[in-house]
Amino acid sequence: MRGLWMISRAVACLTVMLVCGFGAMAQETPKPVKIKASAIQVDMIHSDEIKLPAEFQVSMYEDLIRQLQKKGGFAHVYREGDRNAASAPDLVTLRSNVTGFKEGSQRKREVTTVAGETEIKIHCIFSDKDGKTLLEADVTGKVRFFGGNLRATYDFAKATTKIAHEHFSSTT
Amino acid sequence: MSLGSTLLRKVRGCDEQGKVGGEMGLRRKIAFFLGCLGAIGALASNSYAQQSTAATTDAPVKVTVIKGLAGVKDNTQGTLIIGDGSMHFAHEAIKSDLATHSIEDVVTGDDSQRVIRGTLGTLSWFAPYGGSRFLALFRTKLDSVTIKYRDADGGLHGAIFTMPVGQAEVIKKDLLAQGARTTVTEADAKSAAATPDAKEKQ
Repeated sequence: MRGLWMISRAVACLTVMLVCGFGAMAQETPKPVKIKASAIQVDMIHSDEIKLPAEFQVSMYEDLIRQLQKKGGFAHVYREGDRNAASAPDLVTLRSNVTGFKEGSQRKREVTTVAGETEIKIHCIFSDKDGKTLLEADVTGKVRFFGGNLRATYDFAKATTKIAHEHFSSTT
Repeated sequence: MSLGSTLLRKVRGCDEQGKVGGEMGLRRKIAFFLGCLGAIGALASNSYAQQSTAATTDAPVKVTVIKGLAGVKDNTQGTLIIGDGSMHFAHEAIKSDLATHSIEDVVTGDDSQRVIRGTLGTLSWFAPYGGSRFLALFRTKLDSVTIKYRDADGGLHGAIFTMPVGQAEVIKKDLLAQGARTTVTEADAKSAAATPDAKEKQ
């Protein structure tokens, strides 16, 4: 009985230590210094090497703009070619180039659960007004289980917006 | 009454009943035949109506806006009318007009969707014995039209529409006739379709 009590106490102590350790590790992870950017201009998605269907290109572009407007933390989100962007201070331009594309099948996903994944790999470059690269990131958009193939573009938009939100701020 | 006369009367009765039964059968056959003719006629007129819709320019086409059309929510069903230099989308009170000369690119494609979708489709996930997987096998083919257009400030927009099979090329032709531009010509589309890696998307 006494042995059992000792073991349970040891397990409890270990758990507490592990939790504290993870907490400390999380605290030690340095937060990226945010770059000041009050506005962002999103360019149309390019696919120089990969043949990307037009609906995916447009869907990625529209989802990206929508997500950046909702959660990007920018005062203004401009579209490609918008004349008002020229007067915006601290403007960041986002260029995205598709580096990989695998069109899956919604039918396969729904029937088999494991097959038919759609995946899009995009290289994103955030640059300032002078064209100097501020940040580069590789983002992947996927749809594995539920939804149509175009849902991968929503996944990409969410991931890119998260990166933008982590590295840019309109206030700092 | 003699036995012979009674028997004769019974035989006559049976004969009359047989005649009546034969008439009934004939009537049923005629009714069935007319029903078939009616059904064929209805189907033929329906397909003719579809063809005539495809042929006319200003006829409204039932489309679904998947995303991107300014002022219209995603997955909104409505009618699309192309004419007088504009593309007009309407769904109840929601209306959206787009000048066709502002359209920089029109691309057609194909897609498919579940036959049973929406709330019923979601509920079907809880069907026992893999019922939803079985239902997922049934899909209908669709055409899609993707456009890129500029707003008043020069900002680039994109919009995706889906519509019944056979309508996409008609819409594209109408848009091009009204001043829209495209990067994919008919010859490009044909050569793309002829390539061996052209696959069916499901």
